[in-house]
Amino acid sequence: MPQPSRSANLIWLGLLAAAVLIPYLFGALTGQPEAGLSGLAAWRSAAADAYCARGVTPLVWLHVGGVAGLAALTLAGRRLGALGAALAGARGWYLAALAALIALPFLTAAVTDSSACSRGQAFFWQAIFVDVFILAILAISYNLMFGFVGVVSFGHAAFFGLGAYSVGLLMEHLAWPWWGAVLGSLAISVVIALIKGFVGLRIRGLYFALFTLAFAQVFFLLAGNRLLVDITGAEDGFTFAVPDFLNMTRNRLFFYYLGLAAMVFAFLVVQQLMRSPTGRVLVAVRDNEGRAQMLGYNTFHFKLIAIILAGVLAGGAGVLRGLALKGASPEVLGLDFTMTPLIMTLVGGQATFAGPVLGAFGLHLLEDFLRDTVVTVAGVSINIGERWALILGVIFILIVIVFPYGIVGTVQNQWRKRRARRASTPS
Amino acid sequence: MRQTLRVNVFRQSLILSGLFVLGLLALNLAVFRPGTVAVVMLSGLYQGMLFFLIAAGMSIVFGLLDVLNLAQGAFFMLGAYAGFAIYGALPAGTPIEVRFLAALVGATLTGGLAGALMEIGLLRPLYARPVYQIVMTLGLSTAINEVVRAIYGPAGLVPIEEPPALATTFNILGGQFETYRLFIIFVGAALMVGISLLLQRTRLGIIIRAGVQDSEMVQALGINVRRIFTLVFALGTAVAALGGMTAAPFLGAYPGMGTDFLLVAIIVIVIGGMSSYEGTAIASLLVGLTRATAEQVSLQYFNTPILASVSILLFMVAVLLVRPTGLFGRE
Amino acid sequence: MSAILEVQDIHTFIGQFHILEGVTVEVPDNSITALLGRNGAGKTTTLRSIMGLNPPARGAIRYRGRAISGRKPYDIAQLGIGYVPDYRAIFRQLTVEENLKIAERRPGDLAGKRQFIFEIFPDLEKLYQWPGGQLSGGQQQMLAIARALVADNNLLLIDEPSEGLAPVIIEAMMAAIRRLTAHVAVLLVEQNFRVASQLADRYVIIEDGKSVHSGLMTDLLASPALIQKYLSAA
Repeated sequence: MPQPSRSANLIWLGLLAAAVLIPYLFGALTGQPEAGLSGLAAWRSAAADAYCARGVTPLVWLHVGGVAGLAALTLAGRRLGALGAALAGARGWYLAALAALIALPFLTAAVTDSSACSRGQAFFWQAIFVDVFILAILAISYNLMFGFVGVVSFGHAAFFGLGAYSVGLLMEHLAWPWWGAVLGSLAISVVIALIKGFVGLRIRGLYFALFTLAFAQVFFLLAGNRLLVDITGAEDGFTFAVPDFLNMTRNRLFFYYLGLAAMVFAFLVVQQLMRSPTGRVLVAVRDNEGRAQMLGYNTFHFKLIAIILAGVLAGGAGVLRGLALKGASPEVLGLDFTMTPLIMTLVGGQATFAGPVLGAFGLHLLEDFLRDTVVTVAGVSINIGERWALILGVIFILIVIVFPYGIVGTVQNQWRKRRARRASTPS
Repeated sequence: MRQTLRVNVFRQSLILSGLFVLGLLALNLAVFRPGTVAVVMLSGLYQGMLFFLIAAGMSIVFGLLDVLNLAQGAFFMLGAYAGFAIYGALPAGTPIEVRFLAALVGATLTGGLAGALMEIGLLRPLYARPVYQIVMTLGLSTAINEVVRAIYGPAGLVPIEEPPALATTFNILGGQFETYRLFIIFVGAALMVGISLLLQRTRLGIIIRAGVQDSEMVQALGINVRRIFTLVFALGTAVAALGGMTAAPFLGAYPGMGTDFLLVAIIVIVIGGMSSYEGTAIASLLVGLTRATAEQVSLQYFNTPILASVSILLFMVAVLLVRPTGLFGRE
Repeated sequence: MSAILEVQDIHTFIGQFHILEGVTVEVPDNSITALLGRNGAGKTTTLRSIMGLNPPARGAIRYRGRAISGRKPYDIAQLGIGYVPDYRAIFRQLTVEENLKIAERRPGDLAGKRQFIFEIFPDLEKLYQWPGGQLSGGQQQMLAIARALVADNNLLLIDEPSEGLAPVIIEAMMAAIRRLTAHVAVLLVEQNFRVASQLADRYVIIEDGKSVHSGLMTDLLASPALIQKYLSAA
């Protein structure tokens, strides 16, 4: 695919800025500020008034219009010249999806006639989507390491769980400020990644994967053990205080957008990395490390970069999780949080950009929608929420047989074959 | 010549293992009374045997089919439940010995049959994609767990009775050890020797050992490897199920029992070398002894058994750093 | 002389790579045919295609008149085809005896053939209980060929038998192969032209995945231009 031109990039950035800023400005302009405020405070108060409103409001219509407009533009794409170039490939759809996610709190507020800022259905769904964003970041990070670079790990939960634990421990027991704790947690992720990377130099393949499994398990056992109950709270975990603006119970909408931004950031980081020359080397290392070495690349360095980046992203996801729940318990270090991103990546499509995100959205939302449904099969009633592990296993088996490269991967493959066939037939 | 180098590595690992056992023994003698030492050592052996029953199938299947069967734990559990079902299904008045024997045999057959079905139905389509296979076996493991949970409920079943002849304890060097656990050691040892004889003396054994090295060439010699794969896979799951049933009289049967043992089995085959049968056998005993020692130390000094699990994890990491492919692994 | 093996215009892919783009080979009964060509031309892939290890995507392969392309390798082998790959594929952890025993298709095959095998490869008798991995390169090659003789095979596919062997050993091996032709047909891939020309009755030249020339070995030896064109080092 030809690289988009400069003007196309600018137009795209413009559309992105519009999707983010226009709703906010609109809200600030149409809302009612609290009496007695002026200047910036009034501005912010007006915006808060607009987007905390219940039910269907002009803001909601703006959002719907925006998303629909972007989707229409993308579909019409090719015929619109420069605009079309800006939205070419999947970029138009990414933009429309992003606009939809930005609009989501208000759309759910409209549909459920509740407010996006206070307890109610919309509020509830924001929490679910924050979970989805966190899992998506985790899946993206796992896909980077496993899908793009081919490093198989069964211990990804170590990064995630340590992120959640350290942000809490640093704030609670060492009284660090929130930004110190976050940076500290990410630094810890780097250290763990370095350890794994250097050990991985000696140990290969499946042995390395099982080593990472053991590594994560050690932390899991230590976290849950009564010996450290004063620090970690053992099996029950521990809770910690978070600064007000990061408090999901009070400022959920902000946290929602924080999570969304983090997910977009992770997505872009991986996408830009894999499209750069470094990314091509990483893929070469995955496909044939020997040949890459013969070409003069220090494959160890490249794999280490991938592991560190993946570790930091996963640690960041863990930090978000810790902050969101205002606590951490041993389950964040458990096998579940290694297998979940793995399954999401495989189902969505490994070594694709949208795959892990789609996998995360699809599987987690499915789980939440079906949480309270009860299905009766052959006289045995199955509560889907309780048996989700089983359902997930069955879904995985079915999807993997029908879509050998994950959903996105297989679809992309088909497109490529069809395009190649069209190109080779003489016209 | 490369072959002699490999023999040297083998001998070296053997010596290392021996030294390790002696070291454990010395540690035991230094810290515990003789009675406790004896109990710990025997406990290590019987635990090791249970790990072996799960790990043996895993390692041979890995060597031959290149599949890491993470559902072995679930088959272990399946064996326990199948044994329970058979034990209770026999008419009232059947002597315990007969029930027990029937449960053992039935559990083994159930495990083997279920394994064969699993291999034919679900693993064959995924042969070219190892990571998918691993996740598939894990998915199946969860599925089996959930099905059992749905039928029997999440709480475990009350342990079944063992035959009165085995339900005694005996005195050794001042410590008390249950005869039944000695029985497990014998069952395990019998299988260790039996499988070894199968591998060394029978035609199937030759085919398996050849297939572990080069299954493509085995095909080119006219041998239907697909059938062999299914057979070997089923043997692995059958032995795991047998393990679960032998453990049932004191562990009972509960849905999570497979997962607890699975992780240890993985550690065993990594330490032993993933496709080496001798490695698995030796490593299972080493891990069992280590675990028993660490557990006793942990209980005595920390009042919590945590060191048991941590110790074998650290053991595995240590072995990997010194021998990246396990003690007796190849390539 | 009837052809025991007919390969007709096969195309074989490995992954997405189009390795064989039309290979045609005919092997008459009780003779030795050599597949010649430069490195990477597709000779090994041709043998693997016949054996079913890399099944052809197009084209037909007939053994004794029966179509065999598309069948599983073990079914093809059972029809009486023995395969000696270029990497010898000796099972290093198994003894010489076990390496031979595994090649049995009916119990007693080895017992019946043992004398014959020891006659052709006398070294194997004294090495009978040695692990395959302790044999020298030449001995392993002997074992690999002997293994193909255990069962009742009528066609042997032999890939690069002289590779890595000392000249003295090569002579012994060639003598052994020559003795075999009374009983079996041989399709031989051989990079060493001297060996190939001394052993084979017929030849087929493969270049870039296509069979480009075939005929009697005596004719080839008489045309240095052909040899220069297709077989000289690139």
